[in-house]
Order: sequence, then C-alpha cells, then structure tokens
Amino acid sequence: MSRVGVFVCHCGSNIAGTVDVEHVAEEAAKLPNVAYATTNKYMCSDPGQQAVREAIIEHNLDRIVIASCSPRMHEATFRKMLAGTDINPYMLEIANVREQCSWVHKDKDVGTPKAIDLVKMAVAKVNYDAPLTTTTIPVNKRALIIGGGIAGMQAALDIADAGYPVTIVEKESSLGGRMVMLDKTFPTMDCSACICTPKMTDVGAHPNITIKTLAEVESVGGYIGNFEVTVREKAKYVDYDTCTGCSLCETKCPSKVDSEFDQGLAKRRAIYRPFAQAVPAKPTIDAKNCRKLIDGKCGVCEKVCPVGSIKFDDEDKVTTEVYGAIIVAIGYQLIDWTKIYGEYGGGRFKDVISGLQFERLVNASGPTEGHILRPSDNTEPKTVVIVKCVGSRDPEKAKSYCSRACCMYAAKHAHQYLDKVKDARCYIFYMDIRTPGKGYDEFYMNTQHDGARYIRGRVSKIINQNGKLICKGEDTLLGSQVTVEADMVVLETAMVPADEANQIGSMLGITRDKDLWLSEAHPKLRPVETNSGGIYLAGTCQGPKDIPDSVAQASAAAMKVAILFSKDELESNAMIANSNKNLCNGCGACVAICPYGAITLEEITARENSVMVTREISKVNPGLCQGCGACTVACRPGAMDLRGFTDEQIMREVAALCQW
Amino acid sequence: MTAIQESIQKRAAELLESGEVTQVIAWTNGRFTNQTSPLFIQNAADAGKIVFNEYCVNTLAKYVLNEKIAGKVGVCVRGCEARGINRMIADNQLKREEVYLLGIPCEGMKDRETGEALDKCLTCTHKNPVVYDELLGAEVTDTVSEEIDKVRFAQIEAIEGMSREERLEYFNNVFNSCIRCYACREVCPVCTCRECFVDQLRAGWQGKQNNLNENRFYNLIRVFHIGDRCVECGECARACPMGLPLMELNRKWIRDLDELFAAGEEGLSDELDNTLGRYKTDDIEEFM
Amino acid sequence: MSVVNDTQAAASTGTETFEPKILAFACHWCTYSGADLAGLNRMSYPANVRVLRVPCSGRVNPQYILTALNKGVDGVLVCGCHPGDCHYVSGNYYAKRRLMAFRRMLQYTGLEPERFQVRWISGSEAGKFRDTVTSVVEQVRELGPYKPDPALAALIDSSVDASNPVLPEGGEA
Repeated sequence: MSRVGVFVCHCGSNIAGTVDVEHVAEEAAKLPNVAYATTNKYMCSDPGQQAVREAIIEHNLDRIVIASCSPRMHEATFRKMLAGTDINPYMLEIANVREQCSWVHKDKDVGTPKAIDLVKMAVAKVNYDAPLTTTTIPVNKRALIIGGGIAGMQAALDIADAGYPVTIVEKESSLGGRMVMLDKTFPTMDCSACICTPKMTDVGAHPNITIKTLAEVESVGGYIGNFEVTVREKAKYVDYDTCTGCSLCETKCPSKVDSEFDQGLAKRRAIYRPFAQAVPAKPTIDAKNCRKLIDGKCGVCEKVCPVGSIKFDDEDKVTTEVYGAIIVAIGYQLIDWTKIYGEYGGGRFKDVISGLQFERLVNASGPTEGHILRPSDNTEPKTVVIVKCVGSRDPEKAKSYCSRACCMYAAKHAHQYLDKVKDARCYIFYMDIRTPGKGYDEFYMNTQHDGARYIRGRVSKIINQNGKLICKGEDTLLGSQVTVEADMVVLETAMVPADEANQIGSMLGITRDKDLWLSEAHPKLRPVETNSGGIYLAGTCQGPKDIPDSVAQASAAAMKVAILFSKDELESNAMIANSNKNLCNGCGACVAICPYGAITLEEITARENSVMVTREISKVNPGLCQGCGACTVACRPGAMDLRGFTDEQIMREVAALCQW
Repeated sequence: MTAIQESIQKRAAELLESGEVTQVIAWTNGRFTNQTSPLFIQNAADAGKIVFNEYCVNTLAKYVLNEKIAGKVGVCVRGCEARGINRMIADNQLKREEVYLLGIPCEGMKDRETGEALDKCLTCTHKNPVVYDELLGAEVTDTVSEEIDKVRFAQIEAIEGMSREERLEYFNNVFNSCIRCYACREVCPVCTCRECFVDQLRAGWQGKQNNLNENRFYNLIRVFHIGDRCVECGECARACPMGLPLMELNRKWIRDLDELFAAGEEGLSDELDNTLGRYKTDDIEEFM
Repeated sequence: MSVVNDTQAAASTGTETFEPKILAFACHWCTYSGADLAGLNRMSYPANVRVLRVPCSGRVNPQYILTALNKGVDGVLVCGCHPGDCHYVSGNYYAKRRLMAFRRMLQYTGLEPERFQVRWISGSEAGKFRDTVTSVVEQVRELGPYKPDPALAALIDSSVDASNPVLPEGGEA
C-alpha cells in the first residue's frame, strides 16, 4: 500500500478565495491510500516546502500530491524539493486548482467540488507513480554553425575563444554574408567592410575554427551533445591547399557574368572571388558558366596558374562528423519585389533599385567606385525617391510584419545620397518612422536636417516617362495627392527568410512561423534556444533585425553552447518511453513513428514455452527519446509505455474522474 | 480445379521429398459434403489428401505463424493468402525465406450450405496471388476495380445512409450479439500480437464482462488496431460463429483512410508503411 | 459536495438540470498552457470540464476515449498543438490521422459527433480554449447524458469505480 500525502495550497486568496481548501483537504484524506492531507498558505514558499518535508518524515509518506498552481509553474520546484528527501522526485503529482479551477470559477460552490475532483485524479495517478531515474549522455564539445554571416562569425569566434572547436558551413564561397555587401552602417556610419572584414580574417585565422565554403548541410541525425551531421562541400575546381590567391586566373578568364555580390550591377568572371577581401581568399569556378566545364574548350586559368591549382575534375566532398551543438545563422534575403509590385514597374525600370543595390552603388569598392550613378545611363540622379515598407507591413500583398531595420537604413541612404550629390533632392515615402535604438532617432533627425523630405504615405504608382520616374502617391498628413519626378527610386524592401529556412528548419526540428522565420523556444525568456535541445538561433533567421541585435544574439547563442560544453555529460529525460519485451512482438510500428529515431529493433534469444526463440523487440534509446508518447499509441499490444504518463496512470485518472 | 489440385499434390510431395520444406499447408475434405478444412502434412505420402475445390473457404495465411518454428513451410497462396503473407512479413512476424509459396489463381469460393459465392470472394480485388514462388495454373482476370468497389463499399454506404439512431441500433445489435470468442482475431493475419490487448489485465483496458460496452470496446479497438493494415481477406467475418458483419467495420476504416489519406490497398508489398504510421504536413484539416 | 450530488441525482433522474461531465485531454505544451492562460486572464468557463494533462496529443490512445465514455463521461475533447507546432515534431500529425479515422468510426457506429471532438489550441489561445470548452459543454448538455449501454447505465451511475481501492506497490511493470 502506498502512503500518499496531499497538500492543498491556499496561494493566499488566489485559491482559497474560490475553493474551500480546508474542505478539499478533508475530502482528500478520505481517499484510498491517502495517509495525510493538509493545507498551507503558500506551498511553494520555504516554510511551505519545509512543512511538506516534515510531513513526509512524520507520516512516512512515499508519494505526494500538491494541489496548487499549474504544474507548468511549480512542478520543477517540488521535484527539486523531493530530491532533498527520501522520496524520488517523480513520486509527485500536481493538481492544478489555481489556473484551471479557482481562477476560472467565481464561487466556492463550483470551485470546491471541482478542486476535489482534480485532487482525486491526482491521487489516482500518484498511486501509480514509479521512481524514475535519468541516465547521462556524453557531450561532444564541437559546435557546428550553419551560415557564415556576421551572426555566424560572431558566434564562431566566441565559442572558439572559449576553447572549443567550431565548424562553419557557408553556402557561398566566402564568409561575410549580407553585412559585407553594405557600405556604411547606421548610426555611426563606420564602414561595414572595415568592421566586418577583420572579423572574417579573425575567423579564417582562428586555430579552433574550420570553414567549409560552398557547403550545405545534407542531413542531421542524433540529439543534443551527439548530432551526426553530413555536410556536402561542392566542388570548387581549385585546390585550396596549393592556391596562393594570386588571382591571375581571375584576370584571364574570358567568361563574364552578372556579379551576385554587386547585385547584378557589375560583372564577374567564371573563376572568381565574390569580392576582394573574401575569406578564404581563394577563387572558385562557377561550373555553370565555365567554358571548360561546359564544353571542354578553354582552360585558360589552368594554363596561367603558376602553381597548378586548377582541378577541373574536382568533385563534391561529403563528410559526416559529430557535433555537440548547432547554431543556425542562415540569415535573410530581401523579398523579390519585382513579382509583387507591378505598380513600381515590376523590375522593368532599370533605375528603380533595391536598397541593397544602392549599397553597392554607394560603396567605394562597388561597380561605380562609390559614385551614385543611375544604372540606366550612368548619370548622376538629382532627385531620388526612397520608398519604405516595400513588402513590409503590407498584409494584402506581401508580409504583415515590420522589417525593423529599414527606417534606419532608409535614413542612412538619404544621408549618403545628400552627402555625395550636390544640389540633390531626396524624398522619402514612409508609413511610420520607427527608430528605437541608441543614437537612432538622432540619426533620423540629422537626415532631416540634411534636407531629406519625409512624406507620409505609400507610393501608389511609378511611371517611366522620358527618362524620369514619375512617382505618384498620397501625402496622408496633408491629405493631398503628390507627384515627384525622380531620377532614381530606391525601394527599401522587406527582409524574408533565406530560401533554405524551411528545409533546415524541418531537418533540425525547428518550428517555423507563418512567414517561415525560425521560431525560438520562448519569445521572451528563451530567445536563442529552439525547441530542439542543443540547437540555437542567431541573427536574422529568427526574424528581421539589425546588425547590433544580430551580433548580440549570436554571442548569446555562443554562450548557450559554451554552457552546454562546460559539462562532460548531460542528464537525459526521465519521462521516456520504454518497451515491455514480453509484450513486444517486434512489428516495428513504433520505429517508423518515432520522430527522433530513438527506437530500434534488437534481436533477443530467450527460452519461451521451453523452446529457444530468437525474435526482435523494440528498444528505446534514453538519450534520444523526448517522451512524446506517439509510439505508445502505435503499439497495439501496449508493450510501449511512457514513464510518468503510463497507460495505467491515465486510465486511473479517467476512472477517478468518472466517480464525480 | 482438378488440374490445380493435382499440381498441388505433386509439388507438395516433391517439396517434402526433397526436404525443401518440412511441412505443407493446404486443404482436405471435411466430414460433411462440400466441406473442407485446413490440412498440415509432413510426409510426401500424405500429399494425396490434398484437396482443392470451390469450397476451400479457409484462408491459410495465419497458420504459417504457428508452424514455421519447425522449419520452412510450404503453403498454398491465393490472392487473400498472399496478401496476408506480405502483411505478416511487413509486420516482422515472418521472413520471406521461411515460407515456400505455391501460388494458386482463384475464381472465388462457394458457401457449402447455400452454394452461393462467399461474401468475401465477391469483393476480392486480387484473384491471383501477389507473391509466390511458383504459380500453379494460369492467371485469371481480376474484376475491374471500379465495379468491385461498388460491391466492396455498398454495405457501408448503406449504413452511412441510415440515421444516427438507426446506425446506433444496428451496431448495438451487432455488438450485443458478439460472444467475444475472438475467432476473428485468431484467423486474422494482422492480429499477430504476442498477447492481445483483450487478454491483458490492465485497468481501463479491455473489461472481461460480456456486455454491450465491452463488446463495443473490443470491436472498435480491434478495428483501430487492424484498420490501416487490413488485407481484406474477409476471414474475420467468415469465421465469426455469430455471423457478424465485421468487414463492415473494417471497410469503413479502409475507405475513410483511402479518402482522407490516399491509403491504398494493404498487403501488396512486404514493406511496413502503415497509413497511421506516417503523415503529411498538408494532411486534410478538420480540427481547427 | 452537496452541489455535485444534487446534480448527479438530477442527471440520473433525467431532469432538466443535467450537468455533463467532459474530459479534456490536453497537450502539456500548448492547450494545457492555453488553459493556464485562461486562468491567468481570469476568464470564466463552465466547471463541467476536467483537464487531463498528456505530454502530446499523440499520446492519446483511442482506447482512453472509449473507456472514458464507457465509464461515465458524457463527452471527450482532445486538444493538441496546431499542425506544424508540435513540441515533438510530429505527434499531432499522428494524432490527427488516428483521431480523424476513429472519430468517423464512432459516428458510424452511432455516437453523436458532439460527444467526441478534437481541437488544436495553442498556448496563447486562452480565448479559444474557453470558447471550445464552453461550446462542447453546451452541445453535450443539449444531448443529455451518455448512456452507452442502456442496460448497464443505471449500474454505472451508481457504482462506477469505487470498487477499485486495491492498489499494488509502485506503478509500472
């Protein structure tokens, strides 16, 4: 016979106000196996916990029920308390008589009998609680970072500086991501390359960091501390071990294609580095555009290479390694406005450009060497219209969210333009100005002082007329239509998740929100964790943000990894599935259903009915099982059960409920 | 049919003689006119007892499980048996190499009392075995699947057409008539648990009383357990001593899974791929 | 307690003050926290529902639903995370398939559809939890008590499971 203690909490008047707690305790004392029942003003307080500890000894209790607030609130508290007693921490059930009883019912006539029922259910369940123990799983102290932008690099440097090996998987041929494409950064106007490229160099030179470029994660198996990750490094056709990065090949290559880095505003060769300061500082061959690789006629790079590094027979390299933690830092892309905004020309007008194209135009190492020139005729635009919220805050046509950084970089663009072009006029169409951040609003005010004219309203149409872009819109503050004849229009487009977000999210078991941003475990309290243990988020893959926020989040994620790596092993979940080998017929339904690959079939040989029989049964890996219980329902003979939520416990709860 | 019977006798004798199999499962004559019963022979000399006629109503698949322990089993497989064998291999209860399958094309069997075609044969979608080691006799033509489906789902559509009260009364009558002999389970090639849920002593599991509640529980959970694996051999309904229309429960499940999740027919391959053991993120939604 | 006894008596005699018993299986990660949030926001809903916490809607075995109905609840509600939001990746997708098929089977054999319902309710949807519970209670109240076996109903109302006081040591095998 078990000896159950029932402790009913007043929670001040939170529970006692609408539940007659004394009566609940009296009724609880009458239940089978209940050896002791009492109340306490605040069960979770130190004196409350002490009272439980004393009652356990005095009444020789072997399991307890706490009738209090939600188990989501204090189950962990009371487990911890039990850990200091002779009772196993899992010999505990919580009856939720606050959130799901006293707070939702108005008087004691209703609240009290319901609370008694909830206690009955908890007592019925606790009678079938069993002591549970955890096992430990080893932690491989190596981190994988997916994405080599500013967030990925910051996280990598922090973890590497903490002394742990890090691998960065970058899909492009160089680190740097979006940040390195920018010209200057608000609000301090320091040059993006000047602060980003040193970080790239640091990452490249760090002894603890391995960089895999032109690489993507193919598959991820395993679990926290033990992720088995397969990475495919695409063929580069250049031997990085011997290449000196002299870039002679780049100057001789005859194929010219649009440069992705310069947003199509300039050309690059088929063998190329995306930009001069690329890390690794070595070229790759773009197989789609290389004449030698297409039809075998060229090979000039091979001829000019002084060290013979060109390898036209290079192949993809697929490696599988084990990592203890993964940080996802796959960043963002800009929304393809040309498909959505036909009224802005849908991409047909050369001088309607995106903010990122403007960044390249204004950049000293960009295609125009920093001179702001119209892409159509290379003349200096005298009037520029900047349109904000293109794709953002537009639930009908694109995204409903605010992209957060655009107000600031629009102000920056205006400032840069007015600074570089004399007698220039700049109009900014906006919906609202959102400049929370240190020095941000001051920056915006300065832009207005520079002469930028802010017009509150959306541009409804852009017409290309005699080389001018006629922007029609409404000034909603004046309540009148406005028309601006512009030479160039800059669209500050919405950030959207990277193409890979959905695939990587599903591979790693990270949930995505309706816009496919990767979801953090808790929007406030666990902003860099995901619901999958050992997998963290950094930067814009979680949602639009600016550089300081991305860097801060990256360092936070790195810290989480460092905390994980500070332990040699982890405690596994105690409430996991387990299979009864006598009942299991080895049908494998559970194996197919387990989302964590935690169940395998194992051959056993045993004497059954006086015959030696070899058969297969299912076996649960305690390190992998997360305790969802989906397998238990798939198991027809009921061999698979879930500790802490056993069939027996649930059925006893149902039975107790039916007595009401 | 006599030709097939002779082929089975011949091959059974040869297989036993050569030691390729230790046992052959087939049919033999029963005590009554036009009655057959399953036959298990270990000696080539007994091959003459094998009978194959239009009254071989028993589906033999499930018998293999008990017999395989003594060695490789030769078994006659028609469409229904073959799908059962596939099912048991998919469920990891049998290995393909543990059986030698004598394939038999089958035009359907008859009820010995009425002389009419068996219910389960009227809805047969695979008259030829879907897996075999050798085929004895020429393949026969399957009925067009749309036409079969009309018959297959005719009864459940009729039931669905009833009012709720009528359906309740109809099935309460069915469940009330159940004597819980578990014959349906014993013959079912999907029911391969070591200990069936009904035999376990667990609180809130299957009660031991015979009453409407417990009988409903048994029949509905039986369907839940086999619904997405049922190979539609119809043996449960045939074996039921109370003549309960058990396939009307199975088929409801089968058709719903077909319509909702494009389940398709079971037992056509020996890979485990249960409809309820997989999902699609864009599965039809009705719980929002 | 007297209130409950009164309503129970009323229920068994079939007078108009029938108070249905509703069992709600709720996923710990979403609906259970949504129900907590309803409390936090001091929402109010009928006291006829008892929430049974499970780790995931994928843990809910159809056997529980039948047993609950057989033992005397008047309606069962199963709640889980919205598809795509499962804490355990896929539990609710499996639950969806199982319960869609099982629900059709129960209706096919004559159960009123209102007596067994499934809803996806997230941790932030306190209002949806309240509304769902309220509507299920109202629907089942209208249907009246569930008598799965007319011959046994009287017996169930009186004795139910008080016959089960003998408990072994520990729980699990």
